Amino acid sequence: MDWDLVLGIARFVVATTLLLLLTIPTAFIIIQMELKVIALMQLRYGPNRVGPKGMFQSTIHGFKVLAKEDVTPDLVDRPTFTLAPWMVFMAAAMSMLVIPFAPGLVAFESSISVVYFFAILGLSVVGLLVAGWASYNKYSLLGGLRSAAQMVSYEIPLTLSIVGVVVLTGSLSFTQIIEWQLQHGWAVIWQLVGFPIFFIAATAEINRTPFDMVEADSEIVAGFATEYSGMRFGFFFFAEYVSLFIMSAITVTLFFGGWLAPWPFPAQLEGFIGTLYGLFWFFLKTYLFVFVAVWMRATLPRVRVDQLMGLAWKVLLPVALLNLLVTGVAVVVFNLSGVQ
Amino acid sequence: MTAVDPETRVPDPIELDRAEEARLHAALGVDLPPRPGDEYAGFDTVGIPDRPPQTEREAEIYTLDEGEMLVNMGPQHPSTHGVMRLVVKVRGEVVVDLDPVLGYLHRGIEKLCENATYTTVLTYVDPMDYLSSMHNEHAPAIAFEKLYGIRAPKRAEYIRALVVELNRVFSHGLMMGFLALDMGGLTPILYGFINRDETVELLSAISGQRMLFNFFRVGGVNWDVSDEFISRLSSWRSNVGRSIGDNEALITENEIFTARTKGMGVLSGERAIALGVSGPNLRASGVPFDVRKAHPYSIYHELEFEVITHSAGDVYARYLQRIAEIKQSLHLIDQIVDQMPHGPVQAQVPGIIRPKPGRAFGAVESPRGLYSVYAISDGGPNPYRFRMRDPSFISLQVMPVLMPGHLIADTMAIMASLDPIMGGVDK
Amino acid sequence: MDDLRRPGSPASRLGRRRALTAPAVAGALVRALTDRFPELAGTLWTDEDTVEVQIDGARSVEVLSRLRDDPELHFWYLADAAAADYGVGEHFEVVYHLYSDLHPAWLRVRARVDRSSPHLPSITGLWEGAMFHEREMFDMMGIIFDGNRDLRRIYMSPDYRSFPQRRDFLLPDDAADSSAAGVNPLERPETWDLSRFSEEVAHSIDPILPLGTSAMAPGPEAAEIEADETDADKSRPR
Repeated sequence: MDWDLVLGIARFVVATTLLLLLTIPTAFIIIQMELKVIALMQLRYGPNRVGPKGMFQSTIHGFKVLAKEDVTPDLVDRPTFTLAPWMVFMAAAMSMLVIPFAPGLVAFESSISVVYFFAILGLSVVGLLVAGWASYNKYSLLGGLRSAAQMVSYEIPLTLSIVGVVVLTGSLSFTQIIEWQLQHGWAVIWQLVGFPIFFIAATAEINRTPFDMVEADSEIVAGFATEYSGMRFGFFFFAEYVSLFIMSAITVTLFFGGWLAPWPFPAQLEGFIGTLYGLFWFFLKTYLFVFVAVWMRATLPRVRVDQLMGLAWKVLLPVALLNLLVTGVAVVVFNLSGVQ
Repeated sequence: MTAVDPETRVPDPIELDRAEEARLHAALGVDLPPRPGDEYAGFDTVGIPDRPPQTEREAEIYTLDEGEMLVNMGPQHPSTHGVMRLVVKVRGEVVVDLDPVLGYLHRGIEKLCENATYTTVLTYVDPMDYLSSMHNEHAPAIAFEKLYGIRAPKRAEYIRALVVELNRVFSHGLMMGFLALDMGGLTPILYGFINRDETVELLSAISGQRMLFNFFRVGGVNWDVSDEFISRLSSWRSNVGRSIGDNEALITENEIFTARTKGMGVLSGERAIALGVSGPNLRASGVPFDVRKAHPYSIYHELEFEVITHSAGDVYARYLQRIAEIKQSLHLIDQIVDQMPHGPVQAQVPGIIRPKPGRAFGAVESPRGLYSVYAISDGGPNPYRFRMRDPSFISLQVMPVLMPGHLIADTMAIMASLDPIMGGVDK
Repeated sequence: MDDLRRPGSPASRLGRRRALTAPAVAGALVRALTDRFPELAGTLWTDEDTVEVQIDGARSVEVLSRLRDDPELHFWYLADAAAADYGVGEHFEVVYHLYSDLHPAWLRVRARVDRSSPHLPSITGLWEGAMFHEREMFDMMGIIFDGNRDLRRIYMSPDYRSFPQRRDFLLPDDAADSSAAGVNPLERPETWDLSRFSEEVAHSIDPILPLGTSAMAPGPEAAEIEADETDADKSRPR
């Protein structure tokens, strides 16, 4: 019996289960942050009754969504209607498999994790399209098409800015990118143009303000998720917050050193303490970016859909290409690339 | 999924409606004409009425060309203006035509006031344009005083001007919030409400109410203003710049906001005059018409201020116009507090006044425009005819003129910039 | 509690109004009006800040366009267009208020409209913004504006059958006609009779309530309504 294989499978199953379980409190924490942080920015209290300082509000929201009636219109295409939220959520959950939380703490170690990540990201677009179409409602269809167009347009500058990092570090694996950053400093210093492009494109990719035309509540209806209620609807918004976490995690991994500590502190430590140390810094940095995204939601109005598309194609894409060009030239000229 | 037994299934209410309708038709022997759009199975045909169009314009808007679609916005809006239904004809995302459907908030106030004494009328008009209640009361007070042949004392006029300008400050502050909210900015509306809360606390110190003030009387105002109030006013005055400034800092220079509002919904001066637009909307299109300067009422001829205009006539200009008017109102409040004389605040009038038969017209400048009252008296205790002209009602005609060519997303922005209040629109 | 003290000081009756503007200034308007419209000189009336003239309804467009286009009068802004009902046997009146920057007074133009044939030319050709005014006057008072492209009800629902602001509008009749009294419009054959929307009938008022009927002389409808007495009927003053 190949114990290595069995152990490997067992490890994978445990890791995946833990990750799936991790998504739940993550989403709850992020929702709670949104409620409370936005409230404080708007000079009001926010939830402060459920639990100490209102901490359990989002948890109760989660359970409430479970308990709601699932109203499904008669004429929807049932298999696809049911499948769409699963697709969107699976895209989010599966992309969590490759995120390096701490040294040695990756569910799925691979040398092409960047490619894997972006492949899985595309799956959520399919999920949204299917949701819009299966709802048998012309507004949902329009909303689904609009959001698909938005996500597809922004994937290109997103990918191009990451290719800049890939060219710089010479590797397609998240862990190796972090190790490159251990030796050369955080990639954000090297990719001063690439990081903003990535950040903007990532915000648009997950449909967060200012690019949340999709879920704009002062537009006609709620977009692709109009006909969804109860837990199906819960899945969509669960998936949105999980992908916010994931995008922040990827930002941190690619540009801000992943689990590495900033300058005055030792970058990483050894052994079990090292794992905890890396975990701490990883989560701190990730939640900092989540906070920035929530802050943007409180502050900024929404970009109109044609301006959104214009931004992606006419501004971000050329700048990302330029960034890639300059990075490539610099790497060749200064011989920067390569880890080992 | 559990299978549902068709025999014992509880029918859906929409099925009951359809079945009942069919039964009625069968009973009456009447054939219902096929609904237009029934040929598109499963797609709802929202907005198309199930009767032939009655007028030329109705035919124009409810006839769909190839590729056009009717979208219903309202009457329950996520937007804050009240209950109104906009039937928008779109081709893709671009609006081709628009028809506002009103009357959801119609309360018959004009007719109601024919059975009320003149003082009671002043309480009935408060909830018309509920964000500028003081202006709603001011115009009838002017008209009734003309009918009765009386003047309010000087101090009363100053207090009237004071509360009216306070009302203008918070109404315009809220409009900033509504405009941002309709574009997705969640925070400015809350800052606007903080400003409103502070202002309304002041007004409740004078009138006893936070919203529907019931402060004006024929011949003056109801309560006097004390020195303690004046000191509260001055501390409010030093705070209000900050809360408006917070809002401004969030919105005015924001790239996203300006990209969405500049050049949007441009209304030229001549068109605005032809459409009957008044107030900040008209002045933002370059026409310097302000009732306070045009036909001064109350003590406005003693106060020093200029008529502010902007020339662009777009959404951004209307927004800037209101900010400028807030600052102008603060300047006016300063002058009023400086110049307020002592004296009585209400002329001696009987409880039920019976003016001589006649007609009177009283017009004021409300935050939405020219708000006027035309009253006819027949010598009895109730007005014979009480007519209110609400500026938001007339400004709504601008929508079908401005909207075509813009995207649906701009509908809300343009409407928020016109700042209609449905209470006034529907009376 | 000073600010809650009622104004107890004996302010004597403040007497008649003083004119806001010196008569000579508004006099320019009066002179200009009598020059251009000598036939209206008899009906001219002034107030401290309003000048009023009365015209016959059929001339409204002509008079208003001259008021607007004459360089000395220059009444370019329509402030208000209102309707008044002077009683059951009496006429209607449509009242326009105009603003000019050359004169310190509002101009009120009262146009008399016959009750039996309440037609008036529409001024939407002069001011586009009169559309909603005219729709409201049609809806509430039943005055028909000839030439208005969109004369339909604005506040009431399109199949509403009476005109609320008329003096002969009785609320109990309206209540007896409503769903609260158990009336289901779907059960009425006339709701399904679409011929009432045909061309020649479309612009006459209320074919169900014949012209000239008032509730004093009960028409065929009123008899039906009084047959079953609703609660609203019992509250109507007899």
